[in-house]
Amino acid sequence: MPAIVGGSAETAVRVGQLTRVYGTGPQAVTALAGIDVEFHCGTFTAVMGPSGSGKSTLLQTAAGLDRPTSGQVWIGDQELSRLSETKLTKLRRSRIGFVFQAFNLIGALTVEENIHLPLRLSGARPDPDWLGQVIDRVGLTDRLHHRPAELSGGQQQRVAIARALAMRPEVIFCDEPTGALDTQTAAEVLALLRSVVDQTRQTVIMVTHDPVAASYADRVMVLADGRIVQDMPQPGAERIAEHLALLGRRQLVAQGS
Amino acid sequence: MLGLALRMLRHRIGSAIATLVALACGVMILMSVGLLVESGLRYKPAPQRYAAADIVVANHAITITGKEFDGTTTTTTVPLPEGGTVPADLAAQLRQVPGITIVAVDRSIRAVVPIAATPHTLAHGWSSAALTPYRIVDGRQPNADGEVAVDRRLAEATEDEVRPGYRIPVLVGGAYRTYTVSGVVERAVDGDWPAALFFTDHHAAALNPRPGRADAIGIVLASDADTSAVLAEVRRLSAEAGAKVYTGADRATSAQSEALAARDLLIQVGAAFGGYVVALVVFVVAGTVGLAVRHRRRDLALLRAVAATPGQVRWLLLAEVVQVSLVAVVVGIPAGLFVTGWVHRQLIARGFVPDGFPLSGGVLSAVAVTAVTLLVAVTAALIAAARTVRIRPTEALGEVAVEPPRSSRTRLVIGLVTLGAGVSLTMVTTAARGPAALGAALGMLYVFVLAAALLAPWINRYAARALGPVLRAVWGDSGYLAAANLRANAQGMVTVLTALVLSVGFGGSVWFLQDNLQRQTVEQTRDGLLAQHALLSPAGLPESAVADARAVPGVVAATGIRRTSVITRVMGEPQDVGAQAVDPDSADRTLDLKVTEGRLADLRGATVALSTLQASSQGVKLGDQVAMWLGDGTPVTLRVVALYERGLGFGDVTLNRETVDGHTATNLDDQVLIRTEDGGAALTDLVDRHPGSALIDTAAMNGELAKDLALSAWLNKLLIGVMVGYAALAAANTMVMAALARGRELALLRLVGVTRRQVKRMVHAEQVGLLGTSLLVGGAIAAITLVSVVRTLTGQPVPYVPTAGWISIIGGTALLALATTVLPIGALLRTPPVDGIGVKE
Repeated sequence: MPAIVGGSAETAVRVGQLTRVYGTGPQAVTALAGIDVEFHCGTFTAVMGPSGSGKSTLLQTAAGLDRPTSGQVWIGDQELSRLSETKLTKLRRSRIGFVFQAFNLIGALTVEENIHLPLRLSGARPDPDWLGQVIDRVGLTDRLHHRPAELSGGQQQRVAIARALAMRPEVIFCDEPTGALDTQTAAEVLALLRSVVDQTRQTVIMVTHDPVAASYADRVMVLADGRIVQDMPQPGAERIAEHLALLGRRQLVAQGS
Repeated sequence: MLGLALRMLRHRIGSAIATLVALACGVMILMSVGLLVESGLRYKPAPQRYAAADIVVANHAITITGKEFDGTTTTTTVPLPEGGTVPADLAAQLRQVPGITIVAVDRSIRAVVPIAATPHTLAHGWSSAALTPYRIVDGRQPNADGEVAVDRRLAEATEDEVRPGYRIPVLVGGAYRTYTVSGVVERAVDGDWPAALFFTDHHAAALNPRPGRADAIGIVLASDADTSAVLAEVRRLSAEAGAKVYTGADRATSAQSEALAARDLLIQVGAAFGGYVVALVVFVVAGTVGLAVRHRRRDLALLRAVAATPGQVRWLLLAEVVQVSLVAVVVGIPAGLFVTGWVHRQLIARGFVPDGFPLSGGVLSAVAVTAVTLLVAVTAALIAAARTVRIRPTEALGEVAVEPPRSSRTRLVIGLVTLGAGVSLTMVTTAARGPAALGAALGMLYVFVLAAALLAPWINRYAARALGPVLRAVWGDSGYLAAANLRANAQGMVTVLTALVLSVGFGGSVWFLQDNLQRQTVEQTRDGLLAQHALLSPAGLPESAVADARAVPGVVAATGIRRTSVITRVMGEPQDVGAQAVDPDSADRTLDLKVTEGRLADLRGATVALSTLQASSQGVKLGDQVAMWLGDGTPVTLRVVALYERGLGFGDVTLNRETVDGHTATNLDDQVLIRTEDGGAALTDLVDRHPGSALIDTAAMNGELAKDLALSAWLNKLLIGVMVGYAALAAANTMVMAALARGRELALLRLVGVTRRQVKRMVHAEQVGLLGTSLLVGGAIAAITLVSVVRTLTGQPVPYVPTAGWISIIGGTALLALATTVLPIGALLRTPPVDGIGVKE
């Protein structure tokens, strides 16, 4: 049984019997081999695992960016598999935020326009108070009219987080948000994500390689070969690293035999 | 969405400019074609010469009924090259019709007044002056054979303005005569037709080269006449006499055939060419927009991931393209107007349209061009957008956004089928003769270019694989990288390959075909003229000129040549074919037509000699009877007595002079070919005896001929040049965009240790690979087409390609590579590699 840690028992995201197979025939690669998991509102989950373990695929399918081969995904009480591409997009832009590793921003638009982009595309009226608050929180007040190319990597990630927050989504999915950042900047970005969970009770699901990054989460889930092999409440960076190392050794033994 | 589109456009200004250039040039060409066609359509000839006539009875065209292969009957109307005639005695019958006040017979006789600044005029009988009308402003009408009334325009063009009582020389019927001016007349209608002379009706009838015939009969109705009843009666009488009835705007057709021919030329050329241009613009714009989208894949994927529905992405692209198209229209239409002005002046200067043919309209063309451009651009954007729908939002997450290889099986199958069709057309072209082969060869050209366009991704891929070892051997490691890049970019460079294959294929075949025809015509004329001298006269030479020439001591032979046209039926379609009429007695000593079968000396009575090309296209053999129409529409059936090869130089049909006697406009010879003994002969007396004539060396005739041919080739070369230029522009656009998008890749290469020199060598190797493949494919298509067409038309197995042609094709391609890839890459290489890499884009 997956552990339930902190927050309310309300479910933000749930996946059931989720499989994702790339390709067909003998070359088919199983990225997800039937995963069941729930993410509760107001929690911060780190999804970890070696390369090829299926963690990014889990994130993409759970976020409605990619369609699963079989199984279901619920965002709140909405099941995604029957939604058209347009409906799925509308759901994404109103209820889900994204932060990727890099190339998060449209180079043609200023920081402010990037943050407003989902609002603009959905035709929603911006709430200036909320936006001001978001921009203030990510510390970009004096950078609003810059182009992404004029910002540092950390600043770009903060713009991406601000954009993700602009629509007040229930869930924010992050794919290696600190992968391209130095330790100090990474810490700032992670603290920001942590505050999103703590202050506004939004849900963050983050894929990462880095045990330190995972130590900001409430719950750490480890994937290998498309299955969940560990699911534990925040164990601390050292134990996470141990688990990962163990996993790596086991894989080596398995390959060697 | 419009604002967002504008922002995205401004950010990717390079690709926006590329699309703009492609569209604006397309708009310019379309506008130019549109305006020329509109001018043609709007041209309404005023009924100048016959303005005062209510009805004109004449014969301007012949209607020929044919049978299609499927058995349906078709009728084709062909203008008569020598102008048709009607029987003069029809006038007497028409005079009996009640309600008619004037019936005037008009005979137009070519005449030269050497004392006038513009000496060429047309002479008529006095009664036809009422048809314009001409009014006497000084003196009186001509009353005797030796009298003439002169158009005031002609009188004013003489040195001491001719007045009644003056005696003036007139060259008419091949001889000088002196006339007394009885009066000066002025026309009541404006127009650009030549100045007129009026003899008495009796004298005009005597001078008429076609006795008993008239060029036209003009009828003026009484004011109280029942028009429809009169018209019905006139039609009945005319039909019995084999003449046609013209009323309203059609009355003009007789006098203004030149302007009407120009009108038809503009409409036909414009319509045919416009179709190709639209197709080409679709292809170029679709390619450019598609490439712009491909380069922005990650942006679009991010938009999709963050918030945009597929519909919104489509709208974004449409909004961008529409904005660019509107700018293109604003730039392209004035440019088109400017270019049309130049083309119009050139067409006038080169005699394709008469002086004073107006360019008219423009608003309609501009509206049509704007609509077509928007339609084309939106279609191109929708095609590109259909592709973006397949962009997965997850691509935004990746380190690099690469397009998955698209190897549509349907495209491959259609491409291979098209290629197969091309190959089978090659068989048809090789087996067929004459126009069938010509049609097949041009069809083959289109089919091959289409096949190359469809198969372009596979051609690029296989060429990259095959060229790998070669590039590696020549350029070493750089060559190895180049081959890998060519393989990887096979899809992106499809537009470049297609555009270059199209340029080289079309340019290489159609352009060089003109050179081949020109060269062959000049060669055939040079080799075929045994006579050393020719007596020429624009007013025509009487039969006595030949006799005079023969009488000069030292002259071996003299042949009068009359140039005319006949109408023959080629594959069911009537066609105007150039012909010459000769005197068979002397022709084989002054002309060598390279007779392959039969003898030219047998050209007696109802006989004809045909070029081998003409004989094969009509499917006739030596001894067969062949039906044709003479230049004035008279049907004849002639027996083929000789076949000859030099049809380009001398015309495809050679007739006996007696056959055309009375059936040409002047009924005079155009030239007399004179062959003299080695010592030469005193020919200068001949010139004195035939005023208005000139004696030239036959070698000089070739120069004139070449100039005439170059003139007619000019239009073809202009059209093909525009198409080739536009296709090359498309290739250039694609290459610049592709080159500028490679900053990151080149920076990465340099960071892993590839030197700047090696990068440059790699780019050179890529260009050689890509452009070499295009040249090879395009050149092969051009060569196949050119060989079959040239073999059909001239019998030469190996076509002639001028050295300048080779140089311009290879040099042009090299220049294209230099300007569109080597220079932009050089600029990219000047930035430090660390700036090009990094997470920022």
